[in-house]
Amino acid sequence: MPAEFIRILIGLVAVAVSVGLIGLVMVWVERKVAGHIQRRPGPYEVGPNGVLQPLADALKLVGKQLFMPDGADPILYWLAPVLSFIPVLLLFLPLPVGDGLMALDINLGLLLILAFAGLTVLSLLLGGWASNNKYGLLGAARAVAQSVAYEIPLLLSVLAVSFVAGSLNLAEVVKGQGTWPWNWNIMTQPLAFLIYIVSALGETNRAPFDLPEAESELTAGFHTEYSGMGFGLFFLAEYANMVVVCSVATALFLGGWQGPVLPGPVWFVLKVSLLMLLMVFFRWTYPRVRFDQLLTINWKWLMPLAVLNLLATSFFVKLAQFTEVRW
Amino acid sequence: MEVMAKVAFGLYTLIILGGSVLAIGAKSLVRAMVGLIATLLGVAGMYMLLNSPFMALMQILIYVGAVCVLIFFAIMLAKAGPEGEEAESAPIYQNVLALLAVTVTGGVLSWLVLTRPLATTGVPVEVTIEKLGLGLLGPYGLAFELISVVLLVSMAGAVLLAWERRNGK
Repeated sequence: MPAEFIRILIGLVAVAVSVGLIGLVMVWVERKVAGHIQRRPGPYEVGPNGVLQPLADALKLVGKQLFMPDGADPILYWLAPVLSFIPVLLLFLPLPVGDGLMALDINLGLLLILAFAGLTVLSLLLGGWASNNKYGLLGAARAVAQSVAYEIPLLLSVLAVSFVAGSLNLAEVVKGQGTWPWNWNIMTQPLAFLIYIVSALGETNRAPFDLPEAESELTAGFHTEYSGMGFGLFFLAEYANMVVVCSVATALFLGGWQGPVLPGPVWFVLKVSLLMLLMVFFRWTYPRVRFDQLLTINWKWLMPLAVLNLLATSFFVKLAQFTEVRW
Repeated sequence: MEVMAKVAFGLYTLIILGGSVLAIGAKSLVRAMVGLIATLLGVAGMYMLLNSPFMALMQILIYVGAVCVLIFFAIMLAKAGPEGEEAESAPIYQNVLALLAVTVTGGVLSWLVLTRPLATTGVPVEVTIEKLGLGLLGPYGLAFELISVVLLVSMAGAVLLAWERRNGK
């Protein structure tokens, strides 16, 4: 019993540290990429090439006064940012960074991530509602419609992969794939990968699907009224959710820690960083979709495609079982 | 380990009871929903204690992640303020009916708990998803299908309510 607890404790500490570090790095990367895409240098004053800029930003956020608007619900208003951040720590536990290198080795790891990822939406709702602000409320309403819709194709695409792997344990799914790229699940499930990436963008509220916080329409959406670290926690949770989503994509579709020559964890981090960079590129190259377009993409395209993909996958899995063909 | 299980049981019971008191007592609908979420999370903890993590995670995924979000949607559509008409106390006959419902359900349940022998006192064994899936499609197929009828009835009820209101105008 103690060994398991100590393992989880070490995992939690490692996760907390890496979430902070990832937040700092991602702020810098995002601002630099945004700058270069828009033909300007991005931050460059603080430190060489502006690498210390996120540290200065963090200090500024910590030092800011925390405001609460009049007429806001005090308990729910402060509960929301905390609630957005706590489940994120749990989401990292079942991720297999290397062979046997995971904090919580359970059979239902994938399900754990999917279940607790849903709590993030609740925090957006509570924050938006409790702010007593029309923009906050509109942002919350959009967050509901969006997340309820995009969760379904996400689940269906993940399910297709776990049908092939025959397990909900992420480590097992990774072990079922090979060393080289043509042995990865993305070769057998390209459609599921595409659906997963698009719905993951929708679930994490990243542009082009950042409707709940669309600046040009809703000031800042659900976090309009939050200042200082109240906003900081929402922000950190968004980046941490991005990492989780990319890590799950890596484990499910891109072979996880499997790869030639380099050791496992290096491959894992490399693949996750590549996907994160892709998400940043998406944000600064695509315009924000309209809300009706967002829902049309989901209900008329992603959902039927995901169902068809799942049906085809289960058909082929059964066929392979009957004919004893290994694929 | 046994002491820890008892402590966990007590903690989950507290969460469930506290959450349900909040869900019933809160004047603001959203606060009541937070109480409901706490209760559902506590029930998930109970499943965990019974060594069925699949049930616990499904409880969180479906009830907290989906059903509560939809309830929130309904609250926002209804535009209920913190001092809405729901916060006023109900007429006396409704209170009597509510009391009747509580006594009948509670009576039957406590009678069952007190008179029936304990099914088992052993440490629960974790059932794998394969077994669970085979069970739901095999011996428990009928019960599984009947549960979905409950969903159908609630959907039909919602449509009926909306229909009546629209015709009433």
